Amino acid sequence: MSDFIRINICDGVAFSSISDDRFKIGRMGAALITPIAKKTAAANALLSCVLTRSCKKYPDFTALSRKLNSLYGASLYPSFRQIGDYQAITISASGIDDKYVPESVSSEIAELLCNILFEPNVENRLFCDEDIEQERRQLLEIIDSEYNDKRLYAIKKCTEIMCEGESYAIGRYGSREDVEKLKNEDVYAAWKQLLDSARVELTMLGSSDPEKALSGFRKYFGNSPRTIEKIPVVSKVPESVKRVSESEELSQAKLVMGFRSAYFRRDEDCLANSLMSIVLGGTPTSKLFLNVREKESLCYYCVSRVDNNKGLMYIDSGVETENIEKTEESIMKQLELLQKGDITDDEIDSAKLAVKNSLLSSLDSLAAMQTYYVGGTLKEDQLSPAEAAAAVDKITCERIVELANEVKLDTVFTLKGKE
Amino acid sequence: MEHPSGLTILVYPKKGFNSIYASMGTKFGSIYSNFRFNGKEVRVPDGTAHYLEHKLFESEDGPAFQKYAKTGASANAYTSFDMTCYLFSCTDQFSESLKILIDLIQSPYFTEENVAKEQGIIGQEIKMYDDSPDWRVMMNLLQGLYHVHPINVDIAGTVDTIAEITPGILYECYNSYYNLHNMVLTVVGGADPDEVLKIVESTIKPSAPVKTELIIPDEPYNVVKSYTEQIMPVAVPMFELGFKEDSMGRYATNKEMLCTSVLMNAFIGEGSALYRKLLDEKLINSSFGYEYFEGLGYRCVIMSGETRKPQSAAEMINDAVRKLHKTGISREDFEIAKKVVYGKTISAFDSKQAIAGELISGEFTGRELYEAVEDIAEMTLEDVNKRLESQLDADNCCLSVVKGE
Repeated sequence: MSDFIRINICDGVAFSSISDDRFKIGRMGAALITPIAKKTAAANALLSCVLTRSCKKYPDFTALSRKLNSLYGASLYPSFRQIGDYQAITISASGIDDKYVPESVSSEIAELLCNILFEPNVENRLFCDEDIEQERRQLLEIIDSEYNDKRLYAIKKCTEIMCEGESYAIGRYGSREDVEKLKNEDVYAAWKQLLDSARVELTMLGSSDPEKALSGFRKYFGNSPRTIEKIPVVSKVPESVKRVSESEELSQAKLVMGFRSAYFRRDEDCLANSLMSIVLGGTPTSKLFLNVREKESLCYYCVSRVDNNKGLMYIDSGVETENIEKTEESIMKQLELLQKGDITDDEIDSAKLAVKNSLLSSLDSLAAMQTYYVGGTLKEDQLSPAEAAAAVDKITCERIVELANEVKLDTVFTLKGKE
Repeated sequence: MEHPSGLTILVYPKKGFNSIYASMGTKFGSIYSNFRFNGKEVRVPDGTAHYLEHKLFESEDGPAFQKYAKTGASANAYTSFDMTCYLFSCTDQFSESLKILIDLIQSPYFTEENVAKEQGIIGQEIKMYDDSPDWRVMMNLLQGLYHVHPINVDIAGTVDTIAEITPGILYECYNSYYNLHNMVLTVVGGADPDEVLKIVESTIKPSAPVKTELIIPDEPYNVVKSYTEQIMPVAVPMFELGFKEDSMGRYATNKEMLCTSVLMNAFIGEGSALYRKLLDEKLINSSFGYEYFEGLGYRCVIMSGETRKPQSAAEMINDAVRKLHKTGISREDFEIAKKVVYGKTISAFDSKQAIAGELISGEFTGRELYEAVEDIAEMTLEDVNKRLESQLDADNCCLSVVKGE
């Protein structure tokens, strides 16, 4: 069904291909992964937007869009995510599988992705000013509009407070001010630096021949030695609980509780930590859902999730302003029950089934597979979804309780409705 | 196929896939608030269809989520304007999960106590949507476009209307619309059609057909107002620009839908001159998009996005619309847009969820999924320009804006 091949092109540059003929589209991506730093985060993010806007061969937005349209609506887009204390800038390209069209869309897309990465619209060591300004304006709007979604905004605030002073708090694209201050030279320097020293994960998924893309990447990276920047991830134990509150014209208050949890780089440990969080608040039969929502009717959602790449856990909910305290108490009570080992086999079994279901389902989606593999690059080892599902079965109740006891409340952020 | 019980069963096998996505839908959504059941007119509080969806998860022998927890299936449900669907996706124990799904739909259990308990939960869901600018900008638009059609009412209702819901009302809706003759079961993924049929046979309780009839008031052609705005705590204003058109008293056909897709891609897709002009003038960003929004008694084209200058964006689009009606789409733009729509239509078959959604809505609206690809191949420039004549009336549109103070 699907064949997984991984090739090291040169130091820090790996090409993974999953040959799979079940899909109607093919997908390629280049993820550039580098430690998050105040100096470069914004430039890297803006760079990814500028790169996907034009290139030497298709030198403006419309020319590139029309080229993509002529390839049966192929798409090319940037994304930025955070993997622990690292920033990952990904350029993704996808298009219809060659078997449905008269021409070879996949080889054109592979070529286009190489054009975008290695032959951007650069002259005299600068990008086109218009591209920079247009993309800067749009990136600022994206940053500003995070405030529009109050649930995401509250989680972001909680992170900034909890991880103040750590590079993790800089986030996936730096601050608004950082983006505003960027000069064309900074974006050019970011391009050079990422190609020289970022960890590069190239992926190709679908039924097309990977050779075309591979040879394009090989041509650029060759065997030249590269120095990859590495940093240790900061994981902490909180000294005391930080509490911050804001208020706004809202019908519903948002409660976000940020915890420090255990930090691991071994996949099996990460899976156990995830399972612990799912038992607590990851499914409609979890402790939080059954008690905070179903029993006490306090909310519509109350969910926990861990960030294994950093050693953090979040629990968030939307409630009436006057119920914030009651909800927090109710959540802490459920966590304490878990820490004391008050947990049934049924709870563990259903959480295991849910985790396995989601792992195995990811094999049915190219986008999910890409996210899975890129997201795991910083781990010591990376299990395949099937291996991970098998590993989940072996996790014991004692291990879950042990990990629950590593969870320590660090920050509570509340966004209250105004009276 | 239609099963003797009245249930329509659609199976879309996908070889070599791990997961199976099953969904059971009834043609009953929020716009079904006024109907005739066995000759008697019924009017239910706003938000009843959605409330019913929540409550159906409970049965006399416990909540359905507890049962799914034993199979590992990931289960959910949603209520839209014109349907309610219950679904699960699984990688193991498919037959057990399918039995749970069919059983949950066939064993309503509404009591004073469990109905009352849901008020707090759904009340918080409603408030979450009240604070969502994306949702508000759309509902405000629909209220600006539609005078009397129930599409202008929020799917979940309000905290006040849901307070009127009783077990009796839920049973009345259930008996009217959760009849197998009004429902579809779709299964997409690595499932065997015979196995699906066997499980249905062993689980289903046949139901006699009932006579229900949706009552929709006559909606005038004209919009209610051309501008509506709401102040909310947002950093970048959001807008939706809707062009109302004649609903024709029926669902749109595949061909109409596809012609609209080609038309819109050529007119305002990312490769168009208009899109570029809007970008250059800093009036849109990559959040910009458009959709054709249609159902029984309503049809409109909606464009949406974030912008610092909603009025200027709307003006530029409206000027271009007026010009478009004079010139039509060019042959070059048509050919390229057709390729895009073909590619997107094929790509959609990679998502089980999308296939299931299309199969169910296709069954309810009389649109055949497989015909779409042929319809695109046969489409001509004349078809698209003809389609334009009944769409994008610049004198019949509404701009909805949500902005900060």
